[in-house]
Amino acid sequence: MTEAGELLVLGWDFRGASGKLREGVAFTAEDVREGLRRLLGHGFVSETVIVSTCHRSEIYGVAGGQDAGDELARFVSEWRGLEPGLLEGAGFRRFGPDAARHLFRVASGLDSMALGESEVLGQVRQALSIAREAGSSRTVLHRLFESAVRTGKRVRTETEIGVHPLSVASIGVELANKVFGDLSERTLLLLGAGETGSLFARHALEAGARRLKVASRTLEHAAALAERVSGETVPWESVARELPTADVVIGTTASPQPVVLRDDVEAAMRQRRGRPMFFLDLAMPPDIDPDVRSIYNVFAYDLDGLEEVAEENRRRRVREVPRVEEILEEELQRFLIWFGNLSVVPTVTALRQRLEEIRDGELGRVPAAERERLRPLFDSIVARLLHEPMRRLKSETDAARKLERVEAIRHLFDLDRDE
Amino acid sequence: MHLLGWVAVLFYAAAEALAIRSLVRPKGFGAAPALVVAGLVAQFADLQLVGRKLGSVPYRTLGGSMALFGWMLGLAYLVLVLRHRERAIGPFLIPLLLAFSLLGVLLPSRAPAAPGTRGSLFAFHVTFAILADAAFALSFVLSILYLIQNRQIRRGRTGVLFSRLPSLEVIGRMNRTSVTIGLVVLSLSVALGMAWAHRVWNGRVDAKLVWAFLTLSVYGLLLWMDRRGWEGPRVALLSIVGFVLVLFSYTFVNLFLSQEHVFR
Repeated sequence: MTEAGELLVLGWDFRGASGKLREGVAFTAEDVREGLRRLLGHGFVSETVIVSTCHRSEIYGVAGGQDAGDELARFVSEWRGLEPGLLEGAGFRRFGPDAARHLFRVASGLDSMALGESEVLGQVRQALSIAREAGSSRTVLHRLFESAVRTGKRVRTETEIGVHPLSVASIGVELANKVFGDLSERTLLLLGAGETGSLFARHALEAGARRLKVASRTLEHAAALAERVSGETVPWESVARELPTADVVIGTTASPQPVVLRDDVEAAMRQRRGRPMFFLDLAMPPDIDPDVRSIYNVFAYDLDGLEEVAEENRRRRVREVPRVEEILEEELQRFLIWFGNLSVVPTVTALRQRLEEIRDGELGRVPAAERERLRPLFDSIVARLLHEPMRRLKSETDAARKLERVEAIRHLFDLDRDE
Repeated sequence: MHLLGWVAVLFYAAAEALAIRSLVRPKGFGAAPALVVAGLVAQFADLQLVGRKLGSVPYRTLGGSMALFGWMLGLAYLVLVLRHRERAIGPFLIPLLLAFSLLGVLLPSRAPAAPGTRGSLFAFHVTFAILADAAFALSFVLSILYLIQNRQIRRGRTGVLFSRLPSLEVIGRMNRTSVTIGLVVLSLSVALGMAWAHRVWNGRVDAKLVWAFLTLSVYGLLLWMDRRGWEGPRVALLSIVGFVLVLFSYTFVNLFLSQEHVFR
């Protein structure tokens, strides 16, 4: 523990906690605000931030010692009405540098279910923003979370951990993007309006697709999905007629027979004057005749092929982990050095040295004969300048406010310059 | 001795090294275009010195025309980087730039003054011809990139090249623009050349002219095919064939077939 306090995190994630327990500790934004308010009220942490996503709930704090971990656990158990033993067994606790490292890993996507995913970075950022509004994140956690967000950003720009998609739908969208460049001007024809169809439609919209047509054997299903994605409904019997205008066709039906046949595609390609067509078959058994891929300028993928790509991408992400960890340790060290310096004694020493440097610099400009005569006067000025701020700093009882002031002095006098 | 020409070659080599590195890691590419600019400045100064000795733009020698070609390729590359922010083309285009600039300093650049090869008509004829060839070279590189990306997409290889190279649509569009520029500029060059030949050679037909018409036909066919359903790999292949014709015209035709386009 440093003079600035002990960092700690108490959390439950997809590894240790069952879905039911995670539901118990899942916090909405409103829950988070309430939790922060209550935690500050209890007083066993001087600062606190709560991170809550689908896969994890974590409470970060700055406290006087590791005992605060028990108090935090008790608090969560009472607040959420969960049995203490159950919470304890399924969760984890980290202290000091390990707590900081944990947050950096979370922000970098190393701790995510889908390695390297970037959504979590936004969630970490949002957790900080809620805590700032609630006034529960101050000097230490503010710096910790900002450092974690910076690490997360660096990791994603300097490595390929988040580059290669992992889900078949996003792989399909990425492949289509590499054929057409921009999906916003392309027409997508979605065959089937079930769960896979909706999932794909969501991915496609996120990737910029704007023109979606939906066809389903049950017209109402097609109409419902089309309405949700601001698309157009196509009657099932007209699928073949719609092919020439479709750039991307996605099969997601439960049909036992292929819905799109080679002859239909050949006819469509003639009408399209050879402009490329892209088929994504997410259905099992296939919706699209596998033979279509031998037609000139037709790109076609089935579920097996896409899953192979997903597996390869997963391996690519794993290969990036050592580089991510290098960046993470570099940023963590920066934070820990700053945190270590964030105490009254080293700050007073550094400030005294800075003032003495200024004193010596000024004395150096005075003729040698005068220098010894003036030195006591200069010494007295330095001592008097230091006296009051130091007295106030040492007598401050609010831990978070004390750290804010130490940080202000370090910043205003540029005391971290040499590091 | 082309001291500045060699300096340019070194700059291009360094730019290529950086460009290749950028394929492996997305960062660290920034300096490559700057190095190309430095190379272009050095090469321009070298061309100036050679030109001053010859008393004209240094296209009348094989070395000079190679260097000039390399220089125009470099310009084309910069335009592409600035306009499309398209870094992926660098590692593939800079080697051409490097090769031609190297030939420019290695091949002879002293030439006897051919009769009548002065005047702005002739200068524009040659400059346009070289610019057209640079545009075709660009199209050649883009076509190779197209074929590579096409293969990656078909096989679902979503690796480094896949993510660094632009989409087929974008490469195709850039290729179309390059070929169009090449066609227009080459047509102008041929027209100016014919006007000049009419005045100086009294209408003699040179093998190079026949070759230029052949090149024009191939690239014209390419643009036509592009609209008639052959868009895609077939057009890319045809562009590669077109560039082979250009290279052939630059080397074999100049050296052995042409009576009037001889650079020695």
